Amino acid sequence: MNPHERLMAFLEGRKEDADRLPVWCSTRTFTLDGMKIFDAYWPKAHKDPETMARLAAGVYELTGNENMSVPFDMTLEAEALGAPCEYFEGKIKWISVKRFIATDIYEMDIPEDPSEFAKRGRIPVCIEAIRILKKKYGGKVPVTGIVTCPLTSVGGYLIDPAEFHKYMIKEPERIHRIYETLNPYYAAVANAFKEAGADVIVFTEEGASLDNISPKHFDQFVKPHLTELIGMVKPPRVLHICGSLISRGLEVITSMIDCGAEAITIEERTPMSEARKIADEHRAGYVIGGNVDPYNVIHNSSIDAIRSRVKKVVADGVDMVSPGCDYWIETSTEHIREFVNAAIEYGTPPRWKKEED
Amino acid sequence: MAENVLKRLKEAVLNYDVEGAVAVAKEVIETGFDPLIAIEQGLGEGLSIVGAKFEAEEIFLPELMIAAQAMKESLATLEPALAKGKSRKVLGKVIIGTVEGDIHDIGKSIVATMLTVNGFEVHDLGCDTPTSKFVEKAKEVKPDIIGMSALLTTTMVKMAEVINALKKVGLRGQVKVIVGGAPVSAAWAEEIEADAYAEDAMACVDVAKKLLSK
Repeated sequence: MNPHERLMAFLEGRKEDADRLPVWCSTRTFTLDGMKIFDAYWPKAHKDPETMARLAAGVYELTGNENMSVPFDMTLEAEALGAPCEYFEGKIKWISVKRFIATDIYEMDIPEDPSEFAKRGRIPVCIEAIRILKKKYGGKVPVTGIVTCPLTSVGGYLIDPAEFHKYMIKEPERIHRIYETLNPYYAAVANAFKEAGADVIVFTEEGASLDNISPKHFDQFVKPHLTELIGMVKPPRVLHICGSLISRGLEVITSMIDCGAEAITIEERTPMSEARKIADEHRAGYVIGGNVDPYNVIHNSSIDAIRSRVKKVVADGVDMVSPGCDYWIETSTEHIREFVNAAIEYGTPPRWKKEED
Repeated sequence: MAENVLKRLKEAVLNYDVEGAVAVAKEVIETGFDPLIAIEQGLGEGLSIVGAKFEAEEIFLPELMIAAQAMKESLATLEPALAKGKSRKVLGKVIIGTVEGDIHDIGKSIVATMLTVNGFEVHDLGCDTPTSKFVEKAKEVKPDIIGMSALLTTTMVKMAEVINALKKVGLRGQVKVIVGGAPVSAAWAEEIEADAYAEDAMACVDVAKKLLSK
């Protein structure tokens, strides 16, 4: 099985067919090593499709990580709605918004036709980069398109988060209005990625973890609207939320599963064994990815520690081994390679085949 | 009546009812009730419960932010009515801001709010705060503590700039400096000669209390 066939087996409900667990990055793929070796530095790699493709594929080329994904940050959709972005020419820095431009949906720059939206900002760059990647790697290594969902995108980059969070209590209809208005536009981005050849769309909604909002607000705002958004895009789809998803008797894992994606991916602050248990009780065998700490473990620990962490995550019931978020930018190629190798070693054969033996 | 006002002020905060809290605050003024008691035993009690609930993850950001607004707006009504020479008891005065070039505001706002609900008088300078603004505000309010947040490795250096500026105007010895934010660490705090590093909002409250008890 090649990496594409293997990941698709997991995302198409036939994980029993797989020879081993996939090892991929369910969020964004870039490293400083990749920038140097493939001459694909930020900010050029955000703006030029060829450079973006080289950087996205770099992690696979250098380490064997089994996917490549674009874009490299979370401001893509917000910028297309009018958020002024700073690219830090000459430096390697994450794109940052210069100021918050809106307090409500009416103050955002929204085109009439959702299909027009995919022509804005850096979205066409991502679409073209996906085409380039698909042409070169199609059917061999999966290509991932990432969509940052409305709550995170708007509440992080368009509206001042301190004010945005108050609306959840003071003016809930404002939050509903934002999601309802924007969903067709964000779906248009996902569908444009798919048309260009993306094998999987990962929806990220980082702002919806228990670090920020209650499970009650998750079910009131996030669940119905993400269900609608995910429903507008053809499978396979993955929902990723960073941050804590299980805490002190509270959890949003079941609600995440209910949003309708084929899989969810989680980060290291959500314990895999607990997520596995909750998921199995809700929907037995539901596909979960994650959740090795990209900074403290993969970047900053010894090879032995990386290996033992991967072993533990596999034993705890992960389906698709992944860092909890993007590989930390400074992580050495060697560390990612060891992470990938450990996942291949401990993920072969998958646990359901072991159980049969 | 007195008990009623205190109870209603506390409940307005606990119900995240900004308008309700302000209405009770106005009633306090109109009826001649002691605003200091209203602040300390009504508002204050409500807020300390909110703080404890946030710490226990019983409530989350939206609730915390609204409670903070309820307090801020009722204080705006109550404080001007305090008798001369009287002021609400505060653990200490804090100036807080995200440093220049950095618009990451939410983490800093949580810290500011948790300091406030735990009894500090907080002057929040917001985000993208120029070094000169930290210094001017320090001259004006004579804080016990200056808190700085940075979420980017490239803006962390501004923390050192603020500390140096405080030294230049001779204020460094009079304030404690706490730094925090994702890329910030205890080692960084030491390097730039800050007094302390705080990992999150609760840690910052503890650190602030410790620094002032020294």
